[in-house]
Amino acid sequence: MRRETQNILLLLLGGALLKISLNGDYLRYVKPSQLPWMFGAGVVLVLLAGIAAVRDVRAARRPAPDNGGEACHEHPARSAWLLLAPVLAVFLVAPPALGADSVTRAEDRQLDPAWSRKAEFPPLPPGRVVPLSLSEFASRAGWDANGTLRGRTVALTGFVVPDEKGVLLARMVIGCCAADAFPVTVRLSGGGAAGQPSDTWLRVTGQVVPGPRATGPGYVPELAVTALEPIPTPKDPYEY
Amino acid sequence: MATVSEASRGTARPRRGRITSVEVLCAVLVLALLGQSWLQSVFDVPALRTASTVFVAVCVQALPFLVLGVLVSGAIAAFVPARVLERVLPRRQSAAVGVAGLSGVALPGCECASVPVARRLIGQGVAPAAALTFLLAAPAVNPVVLVATAVAFPGEPGMVLARFVASLATAMIMGWLWIRWGKLEWIAERARRRLPEVTGRGRWAAFAETARSDLVDAGGFLVLGALVSAALGVLVPGEWFGALADQIVLGVLVLAVLAVVLSLCSEADAFVAASLSALPLLPRLVFLVVGPAIDAKLFALQAGTFGRAFALRFAPVTFVVAIGCAVVAGLVFLGGAR
Repeated sequence: MRRETQNILLLLLGGALLKISLNGDYLRYVKPSQLPWMFGAGVVLVLLAGIAAVRDVRAARRPAPDNGGEACHEHPARSAWLLLAPVLAVFLVAPPALGADSVTRAEDRQLDPAWSRKAEFPPLPPGRVVPLSLSEFASRAGWDANGTLRGRTVALTGFVVPDEKGVLLARMVIGCCAADAFPVTVRLSGGGAAGQPSDTWLRVTGQVVPGPRATGPGYVPELAVTALEPIPTPKDPYEY
Repeated sequence: MATVSEASRGTARPRRGRITSVEVLCAVLVLALLGQSWLQSVFDVPALRTASTVFVAVCVQALPFLVLGVLVSGAIAAFVPARVLERVLPRRQSAAVGVAGLSGVALPGCECASVPVARRLIGQGVAPAAALTFLLAAPAVNPVVLVATAVAFPGEPGMVLARFVASLATAMIMGWLWIRWGKLEWIAERARRRLPEVTGRGRWAAFAETARSDLVDAGGFLVLGALVSAALGVLVPGEWFGALADQIVLGVLVLAVLAVVLSLCSEADAFVAASLSALPLLPRLVFLVVGPAIDAKLFALQAGTFGRAFALRFAPVTFVVAIGCAVVAGLVFLGGAR
């Protein structure tokens, strides 16, 4: 592969990183704190390709190549063609955030009780409707001995995953990037939740259905729905 | 080897009238642009959508670390003369392995960053055993990873200690094994080549050029690793994660294989291990020790950087040593197979 091609590929790759960091699509793939890293890497890629291109042009203008080693030495670097794959994926396909398919795939990986147990579960803030993340709701419903959820109306945001028993509201939790995501799910009962198509984003208000405390992974709390409204896919689709 | 000879033959020929890689690239880009809607419809199947998201996620998450790695590699090549490295590291190889292992604490990055750095260290004349120890230690024992492990396993301080000890032991044992049995010729010649020493303004040019060519060499393999891990991530059935609770030996083996397959960032794998709460702690420790030492994308990166002959020997041994170290550390620090 010629140096010009390598430089174009690096430029495109840097451009892809800059594109998703600037338009916010990066939140589909990694957690927010990765932004400076991605932006920095994009800038470095563009700079490295640009510097090499400028130096090559200057070297070509000189009458005799003073540096024979660099001019004659051409990398085999066939593997660099693979750099096109993420470039095309980002610019042309722009894969969406993980959705219902990942939830059904990762059935056996659920919110870890040990992880949720560390929270002290202070009382919920006052207010008629309390917005909660799905992981916080699930931890409180499953492991909170003080019953802080009892009688309180909460608002949850997530996407719809239909299963054989009804409808789940789900959200993926990521530690670093989408490759390590696992789902948190809440079963919706009543309130017109049934029949919602898969992957629809909803804002749901309702109250927890008191049930037995969670004993292990795979615990899914239940929410009695009082109201629900479809919402557009949020910019930041994951919980952390 | 075929690729090298073909490429050099290609450059020997006159350029005029011949299709070069630049034209090929342009043609591919134009075709891809024309076929954009077709491409999008192909990828609009749930499984492929998930796989492509995971693929892009692994790429964009790992690329900054690879960029960091090639910048450090370029800086070593341009600004750290070989004689300084010789002075810093102990003359005795086995002692140098120890120093290299502990200095892994200083590079808080993912495994992708340490591959180009290790390669440059070898190029600058550092004993391969020490450089390889650094390669294995850096992603696993740095403070960021240890803090992440502590956060993911609250109430289990033994997990952090066991991970640190097992990963460091894996790295050092691999270094000592290399001193005893390793052969320099397994490492591809291009990885061993020492760059000419430069001074003055030439240094910055050397810095940029080294970083650029390291990136071109390694980038494609990172993408390959991401492709493999995304494909397998979709193909491996989810039931593998549960259902192993009582079979400790099988659990250890399956999680070791999963660590290789999933190719997670070493800063995030602790959270995945924590989410596998149906399993005892020991297999999850194995998952955390094997992952940063050897996984699909790391194997691809090693094969691309050090050559296939090296990776085919080094990776399987690392896999076995990492499992062994993790099991022993688990029995000692976690109080048995719980």
